[in-house]
Amino acid sequence: MIIVIDALNKDRFADLLDDMYQLRARVFGDRLGWEVEIIDGREIDQFDRLDPAYVIGLDDEGHVVSCVRALQTTGPHMLSDVFQAILDGEPPLRSATLWESTRFCVDTQRLCRDGNTMKAVSLATCELMIGSLEFARRSGIADIITVIDPVIDRVLKRSNNAPYDYVGSTKQMGKVPAMAALLDCSEERIARVRDFAGIHHDVFASEDQVRQLLDKRHAEADRVAIAQAEAEGTSVVSAQQLMDYCREQLDAARTEEERAAARRLVAVLLDNTDRPGLRLAV
Amino acid sequence: MELIDLGLAKRNEESFVTFLDQICSRFELDHAAYAGTNPVSGAIHGYVTYPDAWKRHYAENGLHRLDPTLIMASKSIAPVDWRRLERTAGYDTVFRDARDFGITERGLTIPVRGPYGDIGMLSVTRDCSVTEWEKLLRHILSDLQSVAVHVHDTVMRSDALSRALRYPSLSTREREILQWIAAGKSQQDVGDILGISHRTVEVHLRSGREKLYALTTPQAVGRAIMLGLIYPL
Repeated sequence: MIIVIDALNKDRFADLLDDMYQLRARVFGDRLGWEVEIIDGREIDQFDRLDPAYVIGLDDEGHVVSCVRALQTTGPHMLSDVFQAILDGEPPLRSATLWESTRFCVDTQRLCRDGNTMKAVSLATCELMIGSLEFARRSGIADIITVIDPVIDRVLKRSNNAPYDYVGSTKQMGKVPAMAALLDCSEERIARVRDFAGIHHDVFASEDQVRQLLDKRHAEADRVAIAQAEAEGTSVVSAQQLMDYCREQLDAARTEEERAAARRLVAVLLDNTDRPGLRLAV
Repeated sequence: MELIDLGLAKRNEESFVTFLDQICSRFELDHAAYAGTNPVSGAIHGYVTYPDAWKRHYAENGLHRLDPTLIMASKSIAPVDWRRLERTAGYDTVFRDARDFGITERGLTIPVRGPYGDIGMLSVTRDCSVTEWEKLLRHILSDLQSVAVHVHDTVMRSDALSRALRYPSLSTREREILQWIAAGKSQQDVGDILGISHRTVEVHLRSGREKLYALTTPQAVGRAIMLGLIYPL
């Protein structure tokens, strides 16, 4: 299932974003050897601070299995600011109806465990492509320029989703080359990918559905942790209880002063927790 | 109806409001509003087609300080349907008042990000059913995106320094496509001549047009000639 996270709902899904940054660190840092900055096992760059939109794919247990990041080409984006080399010194395309997509990745490790084959990877990849194309199309976007490596380029071609052209030329970025490909967000292209993957349902899940799934996953993890702590004879407040309490405090705040006070309380409480995702989640 | 060319019109408040009026009639909308900040000149710009009574009330009560259709929507990259903002701070206050002035909450904000940290927002409304609204949006959203960037870029160029900073920077590909169009070739011909797909011509032409602050290809060709970026033929 696919969900879009942007500045408007990121506070509700900070745990999901945290998972995504970790996936990106594993893929771009460890596997592909791109020159990316990884802090605390998370790959976050300057463009993540510009409130981009993320299209994120989840498995049935609520784990992030794929993600991609979208930015407008009218403002700062990677091709204009850090990937100029790919454009051979030419200025980038700039258009209201063209988005840039970067950091496209899939968690092949997770998808391939339990004896799963590459079929699962292909399905997750196609679901993410369908989600991104449909999200862009729904937003009035006509084309996407995407910075990818030759492996993803082959994946696109194999999935009936071949770029219609490229801009600039392929350039070495760390261990692997990178290139800028053009994709239209037409109904025809979306239909081609859907047919290839045999995905004919709505790929998007609602915010509430995803939140429930994540909460269930955290609750399960907490149950295990509590059982372990009790076995060791220590008493604990579960992260879920703490998170629920913090959310209640924030929701109950009616004025700016109350909200500020609630945020201060939450900050103090979360400073004393050891779950890094939790700090961001509330 | 054709939209006036803001690039040529004398840029004053009246021409911007006229442009917004034209957006409303062309896209079957009730109201349109533009708000933007220019960090280069430090100016805040706002133009609206709303009735004077609502403008006054909005200003006197400082509603811009809590209006989520500005504050929240400015952080998005995709257009924000106001239904998405229903649970955010300020929504109830602003729209309770808006209803008293006959302003509908059926609306959408298109955020625009510019190259120098400038942010603009084009908001549009139409009092209609959800079905009708969704159908209209599917139909007009792509064009509205282009129009939003056009208004924003034009407003952001209203002082000399910003105009100098925003001198159009066209790629070789964009220039050669415009050059062939200026020579009277169709988009199809240009694709054949350059050995590229029709869609590649289209995406570069659109980019070139917008970099030249033009709404149509003939305007873009004219302006590119004027700036000496291509040769007149």
